[in-house]
Amino acid sequence: MNPFPIVLSLRHRQRVTLIFFVALITFAVALGVAITTQERAVRQGSARAADKFDLVVGAPGSPFDLVLASVYARPTSMGLVPAEDLARLMAEPEADMVAPIGFGDSIEGFPLMGTTAQFVSHLSGDLAEGQIFAHEDELVIGANVPLKVGDIVHAAHDALDSEEHLHEGSLTIVGRMARTQSAWDNAVVAPIEQVWESHGLLNGHAPTEEAHEEAAEDASDDHDAEAHNDHAAPVGPPFDPAYLAGVPAVVVKSANVPAAYGLRTAYRTSSTQAVFPAEILVQLYAVLGDARAIMSFLALATQVLVVAAILSGVMVILQLFRTRFAVLRALGASRGYVFLVAWSYVAMLIAAGALAGLVLGVLASYGVSRFLELRSGIAIPVSLAWQDVQFVLALILVGAAMAVIPAVGVFRQPVVDGLN
Amino acid sequence: MLTVSGLLHRFDTADANARAAVHIPELSVPAGRFVVITGPSGSGKTTLLYLLSGLLRPSQGSIAWSGQDIVPMHEGQRDDWRRRHAGFVFQNFNLIEEMTAYQNVTVAAYFSAFSDRQVRGKARQLLAQLGVPDEKRQISSYSRGEQQRIALARALVFDPPILFADEPTASLDITNSKGLAEQFQVLSRAGKSVIVVSHDPVVIGAADSVIRLDHGRLVALSSEAVA
Ligand SMILES: Nc1ncnc2c1ncn2[C@@H]1O[C@H](COP(=O)(O)OP(=O)(O)OP(=O)(O)O)[C@@H](O)[C@H]1O
Ligand SMILES: [Mg+2]
Repeated sequence: MNPFPIVLSLRHRQRVTLIFFVALITFAVALGVAITTQERAVRQGSARAADKFDLVVGAPGSPFDLVLASVYARPTSMGLVPAEDLARLMAEPEADMVAPIGFGDSIEGFPLMGTTAQFVSHLSGDLAEGQIFAHEDELVIGANVPLKVGDIVHAAHDALDSEEHLHEGSLTIVGRMARTQSAWDNAVVAPIEQVWESHGLLNGHAPTEEAHEEAAEDASDDHDAEAHNDHAAPVGPPFDPAYLAGVPAVVVKSANVPAAYGLRTAYRTSSTQAVFPAEILVQLYAVLGDARAIMSFLALATQVLVVAAILSGVMVILQLFRTRFAVLRALGASRGYVFLVAWSYVAMLIAAGALAGLVLGVLASYGVSRFLELRSGIAIPVSLAWQDVQFVLALILVGAAMAVIPAVGVFRQPVVDGLN
Repeated sequence: MLTVSGLLHRFDTADANARAAVHIPELSVPAGRFVVITGPSGSGKTTLLYLLSGLLRPSQGSIAWSGQDIVPMHEGQRDDWRRRHAGFVFQNFNLIEEMTAYQNVTVAAYFSAFSDRQVRGKARQLLAQLGVPDEKRQISSYSRGEQQRIALARALVFDPPILFADEPTASLDITNSKGLAEQFQVLSRAGKSVIVVSHDPVVIGAADSVIRLDHGRLVALSSEAVA
């Protein structure tokens, strides 16, 4: 018994209605697939973006704000880690890297983040272009920032920054970071000294510039690339503990995992909080996880409802085929055969819509990811999980089960009724 | 050989006094005969054809083909019997528009034990014999006469001993009607029982026997059929 030639012959009838039905299922499924894949992609992307931020120390307050400001380059007004705590952190033997993070003004709408050359190379490895900043009036830009190396820019001053200092806000872009797949791809990075000074704070170095000339080369960059502003001092560690200022966040990379836990404990004090961004994200995802389960359920329920609604339409279409089924019966086809034809017809309709929906959903998810990536800099990697496929298979299975209903109608229809 | 006895069919089974659509106490037709069932509209011709072909189960009576009573059979058994023994031709052809002439002729191969290969040669031969161009084109592009001959080829492809037809010439012109009636004669001479419902004089004139129905009852019988 081969029902397919007959099933295929039926597909030409009521074409517009059939396309409409398939499209409805396609969109319902695509929506579900897009939601679940996108939720996972955002989760994975945001977690990956936090990879390089082992431990973040900030002033007491919301750990979410701290993570948002440092990992995702979305500064909010926050308290500062006192200079003494920063100095103490920098002296920790267990810390391989201690990077102060400060927030400056925005440059062409992109956040200006102040930090050290060491942290830039921790994030990006070798630069994609140009060189690392060596002086206070130099900047490097994230991979997505639409400016060029060599451009001279002015920091947009917020109302709060009334005090004008050394540079009148004139800064030169000297390098571009390699893509980091993180929010820092959409940031402009300056030496922390620049940020400190623009806020009218100490800049971490004793006033005698020459004393630091050699030490500034710590960040593995080319020494005298260009002639700069003569009175621009070299930047970067070592900092002079006596001249440090407070910072809103400090990223710490420790020698090993026990050391990281040790440091976290040590900096949970009345003046500082210490958080693992990964842990904060896990808390966030736990909340999102419930939402995802509900969304997945709602998506599947919607799909089942769409399929159910379509089945009633399919019943009407099958009524139009009753003569054809009756003729087949008259020619000797069994009730089982016409049942199989009707069932395959409906099941294939649902399966076609569901599979098209899977494809469309993934494509839509890629589209949303591209959009979010452009906006945030964070890579949002869409992946199709077995779980998504299972959802679609579940719908096909439910649809196949529901397709029995119209098929039974065809099975039970007396031959003679169809011939008249 | 067809033997009918005590045949009674009522569509309204609830009302025992309702008029029977068909009521034939006794009828027998030898095999290899071209029989026409005729009578006024609503007299029960189509109903009788469906009963004889096992598409409809009578309220009472027996219908035996070569001694095999098809009335007590299950629906599945009757489907099986029909597939082996009967071919069907309808007034409006009932061809599948989306298939070629050849595919229409071999359609029953999709649900029978016969393989496509077995029926292939037979199908091509029948189409050629009936003068239908065996081409890959829309069924609707064939003339009405050709369409009915495709339907006839479909009915004959498994070489059934019985051929049923309901008003097969009703939508054909006189030439095509004559051609089809001649085909029925040829088939019955070759040993097939041909049972045709018709009020077309061309068909009636070509038949071996004519059964006339009125209000579901036999009112006249020509030739060798025995009441
Ligand atoms: N499914 C049905 N349910 C109820 N009554 C029916 C059904 N089919 C036929 N009848 C009735 O049975 C009678 C015989 O119908 P049938 O179709 O056999 O007539 P017919 O002789 O073929 O007529 P025509 O020449 O118009 O085709 C009619 O009175 C008809 O209304
Ligand atoms: Mg009739």
